[in-house]
Amino acid sequence: MQYTLAGFRLSSIVIVAAIGLTVIYGIRGFANFAYGDLMTLGAYVALFVNMNMALSLVWGAIVSFVVLALVGILLEVLIFARLEGRGPVPPIVASVGVGLIVQNGIRAVATTQQWIFRVPFIPEIPIVPGLGFHWIRDLGTVAVGLAFMISVHILLTYTNLGKAMRATADNLELAKATGIDTKLVTYAAWAVSCSFASTAGVLLGLIGVVSPVIGFNVLLLVFAAVIVGGIGSPYGAVLGGLVIGLSQEMSVPLLLGLGASSAYKVAIPFIVMIAVLILRPWGIAGRPPPFARRVFFIEKILDAIGGRPGAAQDAERESGG
Amino acid sequence: MGVPARPRTRNERAGADRTAIDTGILTNVGFYVYVSIVFALLALGFNLQWGYTGLFNAGIAGFFLIGAYTTAIAITPPTPPSIGYPGHLGGFSLPLWLAAILSMAAAGSVAALVALPTVRLRADYLAIATLAFAEVLRVVAINWESVTAGTIGIFPIPQPVEFNPPSAFLNAMVKVAIGAGVLLILLVVLLFMTESPWGRVLRAVREDEEATMALGKNTFLYKLQAFAIGGALMGLAGWLFTITINYIEPSGSFAPAITFSVWVMVIVGGAGNLRGAIVGAFAIYGLEWLSVQLKDYAPRELKDTIFYIRLMIVGTLLIVLIIYRPEGILREKKRILR
Repeated sequence: MQYTLAGFRLSSIVIVAAIGLTVIYGIRGFANFAYGDLMTLGAYVALFVNMNMALSLVWGAIVSFVVLALVGILLEVLIFARLEGRGPVPPIVASVGVGLIVQNGIRAVATTQQWIFRVPFIPEIPIVPGLGFHWIRDLGTVAVGLAFMISVHILLTYTNLGKAMRATADNLELAKATGIDTKLVTYAAWAVSCSFASTAGVLLGLIGVVSPVIGFNVLLLVFAAVIVGGIGSPYGAVLGGLVIGLSQEMSVPLLLGLGASSAYKVAIPFIVMIAVLILRPWGIAGRPPPFARRVFFIEKILDAIGGRPGAAQDAERESGG
Repeated sequence: MGVPARPRTRNERAGADRTAIDTGILTNVGFYVYVSIVFALLALGFNLQWGYTGLFNAGIAGFFLIGAYTTAIAITPPTPPSIGYPGHLGGFSLPLWLAAILSMAAAGSVAALVALPTVRLRADYLAIATLAFAEVLRVVAINWESVTAGTIGIFPIPQPVEFNPPSAFLNAMVKVAIGAGVLLILLVVLLFMTESPWGRVLRAVREDEEATMALGKNTFLYKLQAFAIGGALMGLAGWLFTITINYIEPSGSFAPAITFSVWVMVIVGGAGNLRGAIVGAFAIYGLEWLSVQLKDYAPRELKDTIFYIRLMIVGTLLIVLIIYRPEGILREKKRILR
């Protein structure tokens, strides 16, 4: 039971982050490895407002939302616009560079110390012995997660900008041809992506502490959620986030039952991810490419060890030709 | 971050060659050289995977870890658990050369297994999958205490040659000699491999996989081989790391930061160029080593932040290079067909 609760809490954070990551993945076509550190940055901006300006965390989150949106647009203008059309690897490398700068910039400025948001103290409400329910930690994160999901749905379905974003993600050239200002759409996508990062970062800080690596530590979870759900699909990200968050937390009793340490729980989402990559590389909710072959690699292995009937003849034909 | 940059703390914690701390600049330079060679091996492995074949591996630290732990377990004498030390799997006291072969075999075969499902993926999926693999390995290394001694790490690991009386300087020189020898042999082997028809196919796969397939090459098999051999090289780097540093622990030395450093090295040096990988390794690790050396001379307020500033410089370098000079310092030789 408490694992389910923890699972939903983690899921809502991962979902918020995964939606943000997948938006930029869909439109710009690369994996943003700086995303975790952008989440951290969001948490620190909120922390700064929270501590130094003595405003409530809600204001901190709002300020950080806006600041991160601007940071996202800045990143696109300064760096990623220059790497357009160079394949997936150069932007990944650049984003790692951005991540290094942000993470270590935070370390240099705010030191490696751990911080706690200044929020009103609310005691846990015990439900059963050993299981507490915390208004902010549990209901708050889930509520924010739900609110973001709904707002993304409204954005993508009912607004022109959202429709333009979907069109651009689907086919950049076609979107350009129909007169969509793809540049503007890209900026909007960066703004949405990074502002979601900030909120995810604040939530992360809320359920634990704020430290320079909080974002980076969950980056892989977010990636796993995006891949499981299908890259570029916000609805897939929601589904993927649920699968990833719940599988990590709810595997704990199973692991303990097997006599393994619960620390191995962090490996479970990746096993899920690898399985999805093998069986359905386009994700649960993603659209399969026209010529996808699901068991492609199994055939290849069989070919390689000569186990598939007819493989030997195939090989002969190949070497002959 | 996790790069093995601080011989002081390492040595203090390991209790190994404590004298190395103050035995002059040559020992220190020796340290720089052999750690650079460790990075050069990692960079050569990554270069084979990415520079030549186009496989963007983000799990370098994972293969490095396999090599390092294989070596540590193979060469250490029995270490019974004692107070404050849980002990680890080991006590085989194998010779160094055998440990090298074992490390390469272990890392290479794991790389082949990882490559089986992932090598066909697009570059970004491959990067995420391999990064996840490396992180899972690190979690295992932290938690599988009966084998790895957990976060405490494995130590003491014997020096390659024990001198009597102990001499940090001689130890450093022996390590430099071992590293240089290994690097030289590898360079020759890799030169032959990459200039051979096999290497040509790898480059063809990188440039246009479908066209290569159309020529009747089994591109999957070539990619698998390149990934496995690259992984074996990273395993060898782990071997060299273990026998030179004499102390391994999972949290820092095998963190993703290692992977990112190796990326920088290969990009700075020039992808698809053997010399480039080595130049890049010496240059980028040099930056790190210098930041350690300068720490004592740095102004007080900079003292704590110099490591972070260094990593910020590395990040800036990555961005600037990938935008303005993606081919690196030493660009790949243009091969023109006549």
